[in-house]
Amino acid sequence: MTPALKLERRIVIIATAFVLVLFGLAAMAINLFHVGLPTCLTDIKPFQKGELIAHSPTHYELRYVAKMWDFEPKEVTVPAGSTIDIYVSTPDVTHGLILLGTNLNLMVVPGVVNYARVKLDQARNYQLLCHEYCGTGHERMAANLRVVDAATFAAAKSAATPAPVEQGDAMVKLLEAKDCLTCHSVDGSDGIGPTFKGMFGRKTKLKGGSTITADEKYLREAILDPSKTIVDGFDDVMPKPEITDEEVNALIEYLKNLK
Amino acid sequence: MELLNERKIEIEPGLKRMILIELVLPTALLVIGIYHGLMQVLYRAGHIHTRKVLGLEYYQGLTLHGVVNAIVFTTFFAVAFGYAVIRFYLGRVNMKIAWLSFTLMIVGTLLAAGAILSGTSSVLYTFYPPLRAHPAFYIGLTLVVVGSWIAFFNWLPVYFSWKREHPGEKVPLAVVGIFAAFIVWLIATIPVAIEIIFMLIPWSFGWVATVNVPLARMLFWFFGHPLVYFWLLPTYVMYYTMLPKVSGGKLFSDFAGRLTFMWLILYSAPVGIHHQFTEPGISSTWKFVHAFFTMLVAVPSFATAFVMAASMELGARERGGNGLMGWWKKLPYLDTQRWLFGYFFCGLFIFIFGGVTGIINASYNLDIVVHNTSWLPAHFHQTVAGPVFLSYIGMTLFLVARLTGKEIKLPRMNVWVPYIWTLGIMIFSTGLFISGASGEPRRTNMGLTYANPDSPLYHADWQTPRMLGVLGGTIMTIAALMFFIVFFATLFARSTRQGALELVVSEPYHDENVRAVQSFTPWLVGAALLLVIAYTPPIVQTLRSNFPGAPPYTPDRPTPINTSNP
Repeated sequence: MTPALKLERRIVIIATAFVLVLFGLAAMAINLFHVGLPTCLTDIKPFQKGELIAHSPTHYELRYVAKMWDFEPKEVTVPAGSTIDIYVSTPDVTHGLILLGTNLNLMVVPGVVNYARVKLDQARNYQLLCHEYCGTGHERMAANLRVVDAATFAAAKSAATPAPVEQGDAMVKLLEAKDCLTCHSVDGSDGIGPTFKGMFGRKTKLKGGSTITADEKYLREAILDPSKTIVDGFDDVMPKPEITDEEVNALIEYLKNLK
Repeated sequence: MELLNERKIEIEPGLKRMILIELVLPTALLVIGIYHGLMQVLYRAGHIHTRKVLGLEYYQGLTLHGVVNAIVFTTFFAVAFGYAVIRFYLGRVNMKIAWLSFTLMIVGTLLAAGAILSGTSSVLYTFYPPLRAHPAFYIGLTLVVVGSWIAFFNWLPVYFSWKREHPGEKVPLAVVGIFAAFIVWLIATIPVAIEIIFMLIPWSFGWVATVNVPLARMLFWFFGHPLVYFWLLPTYVMYYTMLPKVSGGKLFSDFAGRLTFMWLILYSAPVGIHHQFTEPGISSTWKFVHAFFTMLVAVPSFATAFVMAASMELGARERGGNGLMGWWKKLPYLDTQRWLFGYFFCGLFIFIFGGVTGIINASYNLDIVVHNTSWLPAHFHQTVAGPVFLSYIGMTLFLVARLTGKEIKLPRMNVWVPYIWTLGIMIFSTGLFISGASGEPRRTNMGLTYANPDSPLYHADWQTPRMLGVLGGTIMTIAALMFFIVFFATLFARSTRQGALELVVSEPYHDENVRAVQSFTPWLVGAALLLVIAYTPPIVQTLRSNFPGAPPYTPDRPTPINTSNP
């Protein structure tokens, strides 16, 4: 055997060993660092409500509902050092869930619940994003998981006596409950639909060329029968909402004041 | 470029016309596909803060980019190149059946393209349910696939009659490679055909209300990974049978080529679940099994890298190259007579990085760091937009010029195309690897949120890698433009001689005679066994778990489609 051939044979052996070692390390990490992959769970049925459930001061169950195009709950706070069992379910299409800065990376598949456990020791804000294309609003689908130190967490908890709720906050809750904020914002930025901020009384160009002033009559019609008039630059994608007359009145009053 | 003394044969005008259309049409479509590649990097870097540009919505353009570049261009090329190889080495094919396959593929492409351009099928080229495309999208893709099957079936009688007339002879290496490609394609497309024909088409018409999403996803990835070997195998055919010759050397080992092709038949399919590591509904045991098989499917690519280096080294040393590195200086990098060399060599270079990152992705739990981040498009652009793309466009130019009897126009520009493309793709991928490793999601219109300084979701930390993405993407577009100029200038130039079918044929240096790699049968039986082992338990799990079905959704509405009014 020539020296060159010997060298090449040695390189092939080293390369093979390298791949096997890499694979072995991946396998070892399952036991040593508990970095495994999600498996098949069939005893937990898909759920419709996202919530944080405290099992003990340092053990939480966090149920996420990933839906077009938001996570529920949108914002949760846990104390540092908590172990969190994350379950995620979707009522509509395929989504993804990546918790930036951690090893949590899950697909969210209709019909089946996904699960992983994380332990978060550092007090900071963790952002979670949807990382699977789920439709027009995919790039806005994000939420926050706040980790605060234990003292701050306890203080915030004891201070959480019911504060007087302003009318504005209640309206934002209503808008959230009706899924309006998936497409419309209250901060002035246009999304899939035009922003609510400054909407009332604005001269608005419609698809087809006509211009209207967004008065009470127009807004009521636009809420109850969204396909009838479409604002120029946006698409006819809003479903008819399930909303009572009182809620429509309250919403219009709210829009009047949202300058 | 007369230096290579390729073998040439006169072929029937009908077959010539068909091969030419199958090469030129997808190359023309590629112009649109690459245009949206450029738009992608601009959107993602936050240079565009809107949903659509020039009437094309972001996710619609992304669907077009994937379908045109990765499905239409590749399948047409594989079929055209397959016809060229079979006709060249084995003999005449049945033209009636050839035109039937051609017609199905053209009609399918038009249907799918129409569905995408109408804006009703922005479901990306993975078309995951319950996002629903227009039925024409699914039917179009099915016709393209069925058309390519018919092409393969058309080659079988030619193959068997050649075997009868040449008893005891080895089947030409290129033919073995093309057959391997289409056997892998057949294995891959049967599950996806089941998904599309029995699940998605009835559901998209509203004949059935719901679809089992975990099952559909598993069938898709049963297809999705062998698909990449279907792309890669024609490239390997060019590497084994042409690269040694254009580099001025000989094929180091004929056996290595045959083993590579057979090995890919054996291992390319029982690995699909490595795309589904982070999914629920599949037990982690079977994920581990698929991870293990994936390591085995990497072996022939390592072997290929070794054999190609050895083949090039043989010729380079004969021309006076010496020392450990000195022979590298004796390769025809910018030789306008041997211009195919750059298209092959650059692909091999890019594939080193594509291959290594592929090993990372497939390494079980290592995947959770990068799954569905921009790391992934960086990896697969270094494979499909590296060796596959460069060898396909190079061979397209070569075959078209030879079949029409034309000289390559702008030869100095032509030799630089692969090097500029390589520079672009290395910069582009570096950017995507960096941001992907810190979690930047793939297939996302970043310009509206994560790359928009006015958005509360803005990520400044991904801005530098995004700039690398734009720089690399722009360089790639320049290289592609140069290629299109050379290609169309050559196509529309005046013929200088009689057109003929020509292929480069390398001589083997070691022409081993190993019986085990000279028959497809044992490898096909092995592949079938492995598939049954690797897929039966996960599919049974998916069926038995009785997951509730999902109604269809269009991408623009958060409520299901009213099936009575689709």
